[in-house]
Amino acid sequence: MTLHAWMVFALTLFCIGLYGVIARRNLIAILIGIELMLNAASINVLAINYFVSPEPAVGQIIVLFIIGLAAAEAAIALSIILGVYRQRASIDVTLLEELRG
Amino acid sequence: MPGFPILTATILCPLIALLVTLLIPGRHEKAIKIANTLCALASVILAITIWAQYDRSVGGFQMMEDMAWLPSFDIRYTVGVDGAGVVLGLLTAIVFFTGVLSMWTLKTRVKEYFAFKAALVFGVFGVFFALDIFAFFFFYEIAVLPMYPLIAIWGSTRKEYSAMKLTLFLMAGSVLLFPGLIALYVQAGGETWNILELAQSPQYTRTFQIFCYPFIYIGFGVLAGMFPFHGWSPTGHVAAPTAVSMLHAGVLMKLGAFGILRIGMTCLPLGAAYWAPTFATLATAGIIYGAFVAMRQTDFKYVIGFSSVSHMGIVLLGLNIYAGGGDVAQTGLDGAIFQMFAHGIMTALFFSAVGFIYDQTHDRDIRHFGGLVSQVPIAGSMFILAAMCGMGVPGFASFWAELLVFIAAVQTYPVLGILAIVGLIFTAAYTLRVLGKAMFGPRNKNWEHLVDVGVWALLPRAILVGVLLLFGFFPNLILDMIRSTVWGP
Amino acid sequence: MNHELLALACVTAPLLGFAVALIGFRRRHSSAAAIVIASGLVSLVASVLLLITARPEAQAFTARWFMIEDFSIEFGVLLDGRTLIMGSVVALITLCIQVYSLYYMASDPGKGRFFAFLALFEWSMLLFVYSANLLQMFIFWELVGLASFLLIGFWYEKPSAVAAAKKAFLMTRVGDVGLFIGLILLFQTSGTLDVLGIANIFEPHGLPESIAPQRIELIAMLLFVGVIGKSAQFPLHTWLPDAMEGPTPVSALLHSATMVAAGVFLVTRFHGLFLDAPTTMTTILWIATFTALLSSTMAMVAKDMKRVLAFSSISQLGFMLMGLGAGSLFAGYFHLTTHAFFKALLFLCAGAYIHSSGTNDLIAIGRAGAARRMKITTIGLVVGGAALAGIPMFAGFFSKEHILSALHGPGQMIFKIGAFGAAFMTAYYTFRMVFLIMRPNPNSQATPDEPAYPHDDAHGPAEPLAMILPIIVLSLGALVIGFFGDKIGAILHVEHIHHPTIGEMAPAVVVALLGVVLAWIDFGRANAKQRGFVSLVPAAEKLFEKRWYIDEIYNTAIVRPVIMIAKLCYGTETRGLDKGIDSLAYSTAKVGREVARGHVGRLQLYIGVAVVVVASLVFYVGMR
Repeated sequence: MTLHAWMVFALTLFCIGLYGVIARRNLIAILIGIELMLNAASINVLAINYFVSPEPAVGQIIVLFIIGLAAAEAAIALSIILGVYRQRASIDVTLLEELRG
Repeated sequence: MPGFPILTATILCPLIALLVTLLIPGRHEKAIKIANTLCALASVILAITIWAQYDRSVGGFQMMEDMAWLPSFDIRYTVGVDGAGVVLGLLTAIVFFTGVLSMWTLKTRVKEYFAFKAALVFGVFGVFFALDIFAFFFFYEIAVLPMYPLIAIWGSTRKEYSAMKLTLFLMAGSVLLFPGLIALYVQAGGETWNILELAQSPQYTRTFQIFCYPFIYIGFGVLAGMFPFHGWSPTGHVAAPTAVSMLHAGVLMKLGAFGILRIGMTCLPLGAAYWAPTFATLATAGIIYGAFVAMRQTDFKYVIGFSSVSHMGIVLLGLNIYAGGGDVAQTGLDGAIFQMFAHGIMTALFFSAVGFIYDQTHDRDIRHFGGLVSQVPIAGSMFILAAMCGMGVPGFASFWAELLVFIAAVQTYPVLGILAIVGLIFTAAYTLRVLGKAMFGPRNKNWEHLVDVGVWALLPRAILVGVLLLFGFFPNLILDMIRSTVWGP
Repeated sequence: MNHELLALACVTAPLLGFAVALIGFRRRHSSAAAIVIASGLVSLVASVLLLITARPEAQAFTARWFMIEDFSIEFGVLLDGRTLIMGSVVALITLCIQVYSLYYMASDPGKGRFFAFLALFEWSMLLFVYSANLLQMFIFWELVGLASFLLIGFWYEKPSAVAAAKKAFLMTRVGDVGLFIGLILLFQTSGTLDVLGIANIFEPHGLPESIAPQRIELIAMLLFVGVIGKSAQFPLHTWLPDAMEGPTPVSALLHSATMVAAGVFLVTRFHGLFLDAPTTMTTILWIATFTALLSSTMAMVAKDMKRVLAFSSISQLGFMLMGLGAGSLFAGYFHLTTHAFFKALLFLCAGAYIHSSGTNDLIAIGRAGAARRMKITTIGLVVGGAALAGIPMFAGFFSKEHILSALHGPGQMIFKIGAFGAAFMTAYYTFRMVFLIMRPNPNSQATPDEPAYPHDDAHGPAEPLAMILPIIVLSLGALVIGFFGDKIGAILHVEHIHHPTIGEMAPAVVVALLGVVLAWIDFGRANAKQRGFVSLVPAAEKLFEKRWYIDEIYNTAIVRPVIMIAKLCYGTETRGLDKGIDSLAYSTAKVGREVARGHVGRLQLYIGVAVVVVASLVFYVGMR
């Protein structure tokens, strides 16, 4: 496979994730979308690292960071979602639109 | 004392007052008041010393101090005074001192009040002495901003509204002003902010000056109560507590006029000359318009507020006559600066007298009073003296100021001059209306219990009256000083 | 005699009196009065000594007040014929009135203040008269106005007094605007502030060549505008009758030697300049003649004694200006001098009557028997009335003759006729006043407007010495001053005083006597109807009583429009400018609120928008 194919694959994955974030009303689904986007970014980094960079370790380090970050983010996001659920008995984002200047 | 940084010391007086006020715990009200009085007294003494030390035979800027402030942007702390600076510095000191004395009876949030007030005076002194445009603007904003809390907290009559209005107006003025000042810096090559050096800049072509000058004139003009951007000033006067009104009308409005002179006319003489007829017309409109509006007001302070618009019109008219050049330019400038001084003292006296009455009655509607001069003879007399000064009665300082401006005006812009002189009739009309309704006439039975000014409360008012009369009888004292003022090439 | 010291004493004594009395003795009435009277006495003695020992040439004692660059502003005293005579008259009459006020104001709670203001008035007037400098002249002109404002409104708790004071100040202010501009132009034209210097430019007859005639006309006209205001000439005369609201001594002072005299004095001061402005002189003649006639008609029907005298002042001032306008400095000046005496006298008599009968109404005063009780006062009234009416051998006769004979130039016939008409009416209304007081007739058709309220302190002397002494002095003055015409002319350096022959005098005498006789028929003889011949034409009587509706016209034509403009400006301010800027601020806040309403936390939308924007940016950049 070429670099181009990998990047198209990553882009597709990213778009699916983005669609999830924008269109889904369930907070968990949004979270999954974010994870997909992060993974797409990881794939992109690895692909570029593999085909372009002479030093393979850099890309892997970045990806490790992304994985660590994603884990932390998922933990915080899930706890927020839990909090929201406890308060409102729902995790529908449209019910959270109550910011009024 | 050669080498003693007297200007910096004067600027520091209110700053020390501010720091001391912040350090003293709020419950020691008396200590705060005494500290402020002492600092104000020190500033008066320093201002008089500056007056005495200024060498009139040499003229020009003296007592210069200069040090780096923000070297990477060429910003320096440069101070120095010419005749106008000396005169207005003394005005500030007098109004500061008498203002502190007339707020001796303040009960609420004494500490914060005196802190804000000291900050304001700090800025005012800075403006009058600064020779660096950046420092000038810096002090200018310091002087303007404390007005918001001072009015919003200690004020009366729609105080939040007035404070907000005032702040928005002045901010709008600053918004116009700031690009103008930056343009001055950039156009001259971006090497110095020093007004005197900028004034020599060959980069200020006529086109640039004509383009840039209105920004500076209107920007400062807002603070000077320039018609038609005067709306904030009467409202602000009305809402502000006594001493703030005194400072506000007495000194703060002069900052605007002073800025026009010091920066606008010094750096951009060609632009000033180009715009002079337009702005002189606006100034005259302000004189007459202010008088007419004052004629319909029912609140003491609104009357004084609009009279300020009218009287500041005389200042601006004088400045524009100067900018326009000609034989009588000097006379116009003399009159304008004299009027700044005289009007400052006079309005301070006005507000001081009204404040005294308001403190007891919590009423300022002139229709609710009558025969005050027999109920509170001394306070009433003070008001009448201020009113006479406002009408330009000989023997008071403003007589000379108005005389000089009108003499110059009749010769430079005959139509405007005659209109401005006719404005004197309307000035007399609204002044006499207030006197007739509130000071004279049958006594109002509601106010029989009023207590007249005591010895201590008389002190600040007596000082103001004394200053008005002193310069009314010996105008040369101040005229000689004004004549040493320096302007653009 | 050291003239400099005398002059200094003369002009500083009243100032000291004023300051000391006001600051130190405002509540200690008798001391204040004593101080002021002492200062008045000093001024009188000094000014009379100056007059007696005057040098033939003009002297000016000036001190530098201050310098503006190399231009020196002087302050000083100018001693020449015009100032010396007027100064003495001012000092004498003021002193008489101060003495008179001792009793008249005895029980007034503001007596100390009153005397202090009297001294201020005297000081301003003296320094105005003696001033050697245009600027000084203007300053004291204004101070005279201020002092009269304070004195007219002396009883400041009385709304009518406050209104009258305000009116006086404002109407003279209108004139002052003209004067002010005129003085600026005069200064600009002549290049000096020195009064003598200016006089020397214009004094030699014939136009100064360096100055355009139109400019002189303009200056003279503007100065005359000031005179119209100060000397209460049509159309700015309406303040003077109202100024009666002040205490009577003030009226006496205001109408004789100070305030209104200042205007006429200004014309005499710059008479040389006026002579070079023929158009202005004709204007002066027109206005003066018209004023004299107009106010005489009003005096014929007025019932208020002080008002009759006020109208007569206006018309006599018209006479003075007629004389000056006809080109005779001497005639105008002489009448100014004699008028000061007899008008002050008449006012003091009026004050005495009013004080004892408690009313201003002529008919009521007469019916209260004032004339019988107050014999000396009544003699004073007759002397003053005769002088005013121009009865031969009394002061007014001589000066009026000079004015009438000055009106002989081409085209001045109409003014002469007007002057005769005014002289006739003057004699008529003066003796109407005299007869109404001396020959009261309870059965006549005359109806008083307000009844008499005799004072409670009827036990006191009807004619106390303090009131009688000034009346006697002024009566003597009114009797003899007329014979000093030549002397005054000599002091004024008038070369040719034209002495009217018997033949020239006759018409005026006849006219005056005719007036007196008619007054006798209408008011004096037994069973007189005491209604006056004007009542035969009710419309005219109404018109005169309403003062030709001039106040009403001003009210509709000037005061209302000014108030309308003020309302308009007020409306513009509150509903226009203020509202506009408020709404700008409010709408900014509203825009903020509206925008905030959309910002509810719809994160997904925001992200979507952000993605679209970023994508299109990337796309756009990529395409380039």
